Amino acid sequence: MAVISTQGVEKIYNPGKIPVKALKGVSLEIAEGEFTAIVGPSGSGKTTLLNIIGGLDRPTAGYVEVGGVDISGLSDNQLIDFRKDHIGFVFQAYNLIPVLTARENVAFVMLLQHRSAQERNARAESLLAAVGLSDKMDKRPAELSGGQQQRVAVARALASKPSFILADEPTANLDSASTANLLDIMYRLNQEEHITFVFSTHDQRVIDRAKRVVTLVDGKIDRDEVRG
Amino acid sequence: MMIWIMAWRNIWRSPTRSGVVIAAIALGVWAALALTGFATGMMKSYVKSAIEQSVSHIQIHEPGFTEDYEAKYTLPDVAIVAQVLDTTVEVQAYSLRTVVSGMAASGQGARGVMVKGVDPEQEAAVSTIPEGALTAGEFLPEMRGNAAFMGSALAQKLGLKERSKFVLTFQDEHLEITSAAFRVMGLFDSGNTPYDEATLYVRRSDLNRLLQGGPEGAGQAHEAAVLLKDVGAADQVAGQLRAVLPNLDVQTYREIAPDLELYESQLQNVSLIYLAVILLALVFGIINTMLMAVLERVRELGMLMAIGMNRGRVFAMIVLETLALGLLAAPAGLVLGYLTVSYVGKYGIDMSGYSEGMASYGLAQVIYFEVPLAAYWQMGAGVFVTAVLASLYPAWKAIRLQPVEALRAV
Repeated sequence: MAVISTQGVEKIYNPGKIPVKALKGVSLEIAEGEFTAIVGPSGSGKTTLLNIIGGLDRPTAGYVEVGGVDISGLSDNQLIDFRKDHIGFVFQAYNLIPVLTARENVAFVMLLQHRSAQERNARAESLLAAVGLSDKMDKRPAELSGGQQQRVAVARALASKPSFILADEPTANLDSASTANLLDIMYRLNQEEHITFVFSTHDQRVIDRAKRVVTLVDGKIDRDEVRG
Repeated sequence: MMIWIMAWRNIWRSPTRSGVVIAAIALGVWAALALTGFATGMMKSYVKSAIEQSVSHIQIHEPGFTEDYEAKYTLPDVAIVAQVLDTTVEVQAYSLRTVVSGMAASGQGARGVMVKGVDPEQEAAVSTIPEGALTAGEFLPEMRGNAAFMGSALAQKLGLKERSKFVLTFQDEHLEITSAAFRVMGLFDSGNTPYDEATLYVRRSDLNRLLQGGPEGAGQAHEAAVLLKDVGAADQVAGQLRAVLPNLDVQTYREIAPDLELYESQLQNVSLIYLAVILLALVFGIINTMLMAVLERVRELGMLMAIGMNRGRVFAMIVLETLALGLLAAPAGLVLGYLTVSYVGKYGIDMSGYSEGMASYGLAQVIYFEVPLAAYWQMGAGVFVTAVLASLYPAWKAIRLQPVEALRAV
């Protein structure tokens, strides 16, 4: 069953002035449990597609369905709620809340979901343990390395029990060892917990681990390769 | 709770900036309290000295007297008035006065004066002038001739000294002009120059004799000035006296001197005015700081909305951050203000460098700060309201951000 489904998605920036067509009719289906990399050269529309799938941006034309819900019809506030409950984000620049500890960062999303303090704490601890940060739970982001921060970001993305995780260039700022470590963790979560991951990436190490690679060129799907 | 924690920690991300805002608010509150203390102390000293020197708490007259101050409007039965006052427990002391306006003339010039004929002992019990303001000689001693007790300022204008003679001219009860020679037996300086320049004390018996052209009117008076044990009872005691003396005009100090009532009523407003002006200036400083705090965190705010923090919570977080600044600053300013007001309230601030100017307005040379308790609450509430108001624009800016654009911000 498709977790994400797009039909003829177009995105035009500056439609009134000098229009820039970032996406030119992208139709894509991503099933539950996939480990998919969206690749392509700079300006090919990877981040735009990820933003639209993640409900952060709206398509100029076309249809986006996430978990069976047409998100192109939701208001801004409904989209915020939808993202909170259904989508986990991992950003290139980690984007943790600097004034909160690792544990609090992970628990924060669950707080927004009105989960109990006990549940928040227990889940935050188990997720941080899963990403190998049991000993860093009470550290703030500034006290963690880039790789550790990105692992906290993965734990945070998982905290809300989302339908899938969108990761925009998650390894772009990491060294080789941290990248390998992060990929191992995400791969294991995908294999063992059947978490759906969708990446946009340039990083060959990520592409090598992906089970499906969708290549965008000039806002269109150029190739869609599923690996054994 | 988590939003409170975030708001609290966020304000310490830039300790210098937050510290400057907190110090500015605290100093503003302190300044408002100090100014209130000064203004209140000054006004109260004016009211107090007016009451203690001349007005007293209550005055009783024949109704016609307060309208045109003619000598014929004497109290119809001084003995009954005295008896009523003697038996009223709230009364601390009273002084019967014969009051006429006239002209004091010396070889050097002439001045219009208000002549108060008093019994020295009675007057000393209701007024601080006979003893507290005495600068030379004594207050209306027993002597063969007519004794006068004169403001130093008036004596200077007339070129008189202690024991100098001058002529007092006024209209008697038969509307005849009458004159008599008086000798300056004492001088006073009340600290209120206009009063000192226009007031003259003589013995009531001397003045009554001159007014009536004979000794038979020795007991008459135009005015009974009453000092109460508690100023707060003025209205109540005035009501009682009106009931017992229905044909007489019984007035409290507020009715006699409307300027005192004006000052008293303004005491409540003065702190609010100072506070409003200071907080208005602070609003812009707070808006500026919070706007900087929001603009520096565009990307973070975008991320918070991306992961599901709704706009209401983002708005609340910015408001709470501003409130936290106010909640730190207000108590600091209030404590600082309280300590200042307590210290200066006890030891006073010496304004003698400006004493001439202050005296011309009837103000004391040493001002003791005083701040009504309500002012502290008003200041606290004022800072709270200011912080909330100042946070609205930055918070509105924060929720106008679009996550997708905010996340791209550098």
